[in-house]
Amino acid sequence: MDTQDRQLDTRIEVITPENIAFRYRVAGPFRRLPAFLIDVVIQLVAAIIIQLVLFFVFDFVGLLGIGIGLYLIFFFILMWFYGGLFEALWNGQTPGKRIMGIRVLSIDGKAIDAIQATLRNVLRIADFQPVLPVPIGPFIFPVPCCLLGLVTASFNDRFQRLGDLACGTMVVVESRPGLRDVMRIDDREALRLADQIPAYFVPSRTLARALATYVGRRWAFSPGRRQHIASHLAGPLYDRLGLPPNTDPDQLLCAVYYRTFIADRQEEGTAETALPAVGRQSGVWGNTFDVAEPTAMDIFTSVNTGRRV
Amino acid sequence: MKVSDLVKARQANWQELEKLCFRLEGRSRVRVAARTAGRFAALYRGACADLALADSYQLPGSTVQYLHELVGRAHNQLYRSRVFDTAGWAQRLLVEVPQQLFHDRALRLAFVIFWGLFLLSAFLAYARPDFALAVVGQEQLTQFEEMYANPINGRESQDDWEMLGRYISRNPSIGLLCFAMGLLLGIGGLFTLIINATSIGCVFGHMATTPQAENFYEFVTAHGPYELTAVVLSAGAGMRLGFAILQTGGLSRMDSLRRAGRETLPMAMTAVVLFILAALIEGFVSPSSLPYWVKAAVSIFSASTLMFYFVILGYPKEQAGAIGSDADRHP
Repeated sequence: MDTQDRQLDTRIEVITPENIAFRYRVAGPFRRLPAFLIDVVIQLVAAIIIQLVLFFVFDFVGLLGIGIGLYLIFFFILMWFYGGLFEALWNGQTPGKRIMGIRVLSIDGKAIDAIQATLRNVLRIADFQPVLPVPIGPFIFPVPCCLLGLVTASFNDRFQRLGDLACGTMVVVESRPGLRDVMRIDDREALRLADQIPAYFVPSRTLARALATYVGRRWAFSPGRRQHIASHLAGPLYDRLGLPPNTDPDQLLCAVYYRTFIADRQEEGTAETALPAVGRQSGVWGNTFDVAEPTAMDIFTSVNTGRRV
Repeated sequence: MKVSDLVKARQANWQELEKLCFRLEGRSRVRVAARTAGRFAALYRGACADLALADSYQLPGSTVQYLHELVGRAHNQLYRSRVFDTAGWAQRLLVEVPQQLFHDRALRLAFVIFWGLFLLSAFLAYARPDFALAVVGQEQLTQFEEMYANPINGRESQDDWEMLGRYISRNPSIGLLCFAMGLLLGIGGLFTLIINATSIGCVFGHMATTPQAENFYEFVTAHGPYELTAVVLSAGAGMRLGFAILQTGGLSRMDSLRRAGRETLPMAMTAVVLFILAALIEGFVSPSSLPYWVKAAVSIFSASTLMFYFVILGYPKEQAGAIGSDADRHP
């Protein structure tokens, strides 16, 4: 429960035996309900198929009674132990959960064992309460309202329903995102600006993080919005980098990003010939001497950069 | 080295790990070659190290997010759930559960409530005809009377199978429901238990006043011990689970509930086993044309196995060290 103080969103931190803390996103009702409904459909389809097969086969040999008996036994197992069996054998997933990309884990991040898997599925009926009998045609269908489970889940920070609380499990999202490479900067103006940034300039860790966040998301904003957002971060940089205040803030941030994450200077320049690269380097140095101010240098070198690779 | 170079250098490893994860996720039981397992572990440790150093590498947020998810996926494949080990189950059901049950106060309470209400309502239904009518209803009483109108002299074996299926799909479900509803502070289990005790008691009492009494009692003799004990057992397990929230024994409520969950599931499963045994007897012995003394013998035999299970297997063993901790729990 030590996560309670700092947790703002639905991420849960898990510390592994390798002493690594990694974060999981806890799955809420809007992922778990579809997963459950998929499982219900699978159960129904399986029940119908087995029923047809058993009834047909045993009726053919004239022993329909045995077919009905076997079907009912199968139905009992399917109804109470489907989830438990799958979660124990499939490492915390049922077919529905696998489709929705969620998984059951112990709250300490370990995989669940057979007892936890069975118990949380048997106790599901308690989370379903109150169950209302709804008459549809001649039949009366018990419709679970799930209020108890929903209320319990909303009172703790892991979205645990009663069954989860009783066996110490949680459901996490196991998404499979592709690796997004470092953002590419194609803007010529930004690349030109990047060359003008003094060589000694090393952004602080927090600045680097802010840059990565901004550049990673700037595609979602309109140009006017970009200017507006970027100006907050770019404003203080004009002075430090010795750039004129009419520089485009968006491009400036891209330039600093380029220098921080991608390369010290434009690579295409070095690819042309050896000499221009040297020339450009001298140009950079020239700029550096123009803008270098001791105070600014102190600020930037005070950041610990020793561990950068 | 700039971040983009670093990402490029590590990317191959990350993607290899991702591919391995994908391969392992598709299987329920994993047997991989030693080389693959070693490679997987090395890649996982590498990804862990990258994640640990992500801050000082100044990796962008999206990459860190990717690493979190990659490490999470790999972690789930490395530490997988233990598959059912049946040897442990036998130990649990035959040694630990009876020891637990012998001391279980929730079970004693369930026992007293069930049999007390059962006898009371049986007596009331026998003495006052309108009592059974008020509790169970005319419809069900008539149904029971019709069911046992004819003397029991066996039926076709496939009908036995059909009825076996019906009993197995119905009775353990009631038990499991009783257990699960116990989670609601024990009240749900108590409620289900009381309803079952009074209605079964009423039927027993009412049938004694009807001409079908002989058939009815002959039918229920054989499977009665297992079935009624299983009802008490599952309700007791459920109440134990629910009371664990209230009576924590010094633990936090959640820890207490979690411990009770671990301890009561084997109890509920024992009840399911008893229900299934009862269903087998109810399906094949009770309706058969066997003479009454055979059914009575089955009944006596099943009652004595229950006594053996609860008393002899359950009697506290002094020398066993493991039981000492158990005794501490139930002073």
